[in-house]
Amino acid sequence: MSDFLVSIANVHKSYGDFEVLKNVSLDVQRSEVICLIGPSGSGKSTLLRCINFLETYDKGTITIGGKIIGYQDTGGKRKLMVARELREMRQSIGMVFQQFNLWPHMTAVENVAEPLLRVQKMNATDAHSKALRMLERVGLAQKADNYPAALSGGQQQRVAIARALSMDPALMLFDEPTSALDPELVGEVLQVMRDLANEGMTMVVVTHEMGFAGKAADKVAFLDGGCIVQFGTPQQVLKESEEPRLQQFLRSYHARNDF
Amino acid sequence: MEFATFISYTPAILHGLWITLASWIIASVGGVLLGLGIALLQRSSSLTVRMAVRAYVDALRCLPLLVMIFIVYAGGPSIGLMLDPLSAGILVLIVHGSAYFAEIFRGGFSAVPKGQIEAAHSLAMTPFAILRRVTLPGALTAAAPALINMIINVCKETALLSIITVADLTFEVQKMAIETFASFESILTLALGYWLLIEIFSRLGQRAERHINQHLNMKRSA
Amino acid sequence: MEFDTVIKALPFLLEGLGITLYVSAMGTLGGSVIGIIICVLRWTRVPVLVWLAAVYISYFRGVPLLVQLLLFYNFLPYAGIDLSPLVAAICALGMVGGAYIAEILRGALAAIPKGQVEAGLALGFAPLSIWQRLLLPQMLRLSMPAITNELIMLVKASSLVSVVGLAEITRVSQTFAASTYRPMEFYLAAGAFYLITNLVLSFCSSLLERKLARK
Repeated sequence: MSDFLVSIANVHKSYGDFEVLKNVSLDVQRSEVICLIGPSGSGKSTLLRCINFLETYDKGTITIGGKIIGYQDTGGKRKLMVARELREMRQSIGMVFQQFNLWPHMTAVENVAEPLLRVQKMNATDAHSKALRMLERVGLAQKADNYPAALSGGQQQRVAIARALSMDPALMLFDEPTSALDPELVGEVLQVMRDLANEGMTMVVVTHEMGFAGKAADKVAFLDGGCIVQFGTPQQVLKESEEPRLQQFLRSYHARNDF
Repeated sequence: MEFATFISYTPAILHGLWITLASWIIASVGGVLLGLGIALLQRSSSLTVRMAVRAYVDALRCLPLLVMIFIVYAGGPSIGLMLDPLSAGILVLIVHGSAYFAEIFRGGFSAVPKGQIEAAHSLAMTPFAILRRVTLPGALTAAAPALINMIINVCKETALLSIITVADLTFEVQKMAIETFASFESILTLALGYWLLIEIFSRLGQRAERHINQHLNMKRSA
Repeated sequence: MEFDTVIKALPFLLEGLGITLYVSAMGTLGGSVIGIIICVLRWTRVPVLVWLAAVYISYFRGVPLLVQLLLFYNFLPYAGIDLSPLVAAICALGMVGGAYIAEILRGALAAIPKGQVEAGLALGFAPLSIWQRLLLPQMLRLSMPAITNELIMLVKASSLVSVVGLAEITRVSQTFAASTYRPMEFYLAAGAFYLITNLVLSFCSSLLERKLARK
């Protein structure tokens, strides 16, 4: 059990009457890359956001490194975790958003250095040099003093990845990181993600990029209607599955990508 | 503090309330009509007229209402303008308000989608007909929230008339405050009274806005 | 009409204008602080605090400024607080300015995409850091033109403080108008001062708006 960095067990979540996650269970080992795929509304983004408790979950448990996130470990009644503890846990989880969410009034290097300054309480010189190192890692050291408005979508997303990495997280969550990008900019971001995977980062990625899922993922989970319908290696899920909903889902991709 | 003494002021205060409400209505109607006229003038093809209107609106929006009231009421007699306090006050409220209403209507006019007007032109409608059937209705619906807001503002502005001895609500309550030596309590009641009045009209205004929006949406889908 | 007396009274009028500007500027500053506090109160989503914020805004936007001033100046002796007319004026203007600035800041806050706050949360930022480093800098920049307009509104509103005795420019004009029997000349002079001041502030506001649009 302590092998798993992330352990999702029997999680349910509803918005009012609408049940968006139905008894979902998933385990992620260290250094594993797991891709969540599925149609819109299948609950994959919601599940991802539950992992760092940006969304609450109603039943079940999600544990990161053996510790339950979001709620106190009382065994009995459900009690929300103390805010400070939640913030501490979030420091070891990095998140990359579809809309990048860079702060427009700060330059690239300032965006990356900000969490180091505010959360890890680093001093200014150390924070700045670490931020520059992170930008180098994603290939954007020369854009350090540019504001987000002056960067392309792909560059902004790479800065966002650098910002998440600056906290030295044990786990990285990606919520459709390339969905808001022009097609020709997708590649540079996927390359950074592939490099991260090769370095051994544990990653959970919600994506529509089947090529990435097929080549970079260790496991793929197909969600539909709030449940994990198919789970296994890319080969098992993307090539060999006979699950009709999955086949229908993949057909639309093949149709679009065959010229 | 005899309760009976306060009760005895009721007729005066009710009369004051009547003056406040009447001033409000007259000033609002006058301001809206004058403002609309000025906004229409601003659409003139003559540059001189447009510049004159711009100057009028900008100047009036820079002047405090109180100073304008003093100019007309206290300064008026020296140029032969002898008005009683109430007339002077309402006149100033109308002129002062017209500048704000003109700006509001200007915003309303620019909110009418150009496409609607182009369609009317291509259908060979006369300019007057276009104004009457396309521009004005569109402008009024777009300007409605701002209009309602400003009209409520005019109600608050009527309180200034008490300074030049108009016997409105503020004046009568202040008189009572001085005569009964219960200043704080009297003014507190006055403030609460205005708060209630404005809050009621704000809610009514919001309801009117919602009604207008529904009306607009229905027109669009048809 | 003779403006000689006005020209002789110029030093006093300018002193009054100085008080007008000082009181309005301080009121806008104080109002900005109050406006920020109200924004934060609403953001906490704690029912009591949100209600307090709503009541504050409703009162200061609903009651005529003249009545607010009368109440404030009557309340002070009633509560045993002793403030100079100048400080009292700044407080009164600051309180009403705060209500309007709170609404301005609300619009600015709404213009900031929620995702930026989420990014902060995901990185483990504490709420204070989120406000201090992420939200406030952007909100103040976005609302600069509107806050300048608010300053213009307070400059006009400050004329009412003459009623409770502060020697700002309207009061000074009143005094001279009464003693020299030249009301028209002095009130026109006061009007001219307000006109010039507000036109300049208006111009600055449009400049700010244009600068913002470019960035």
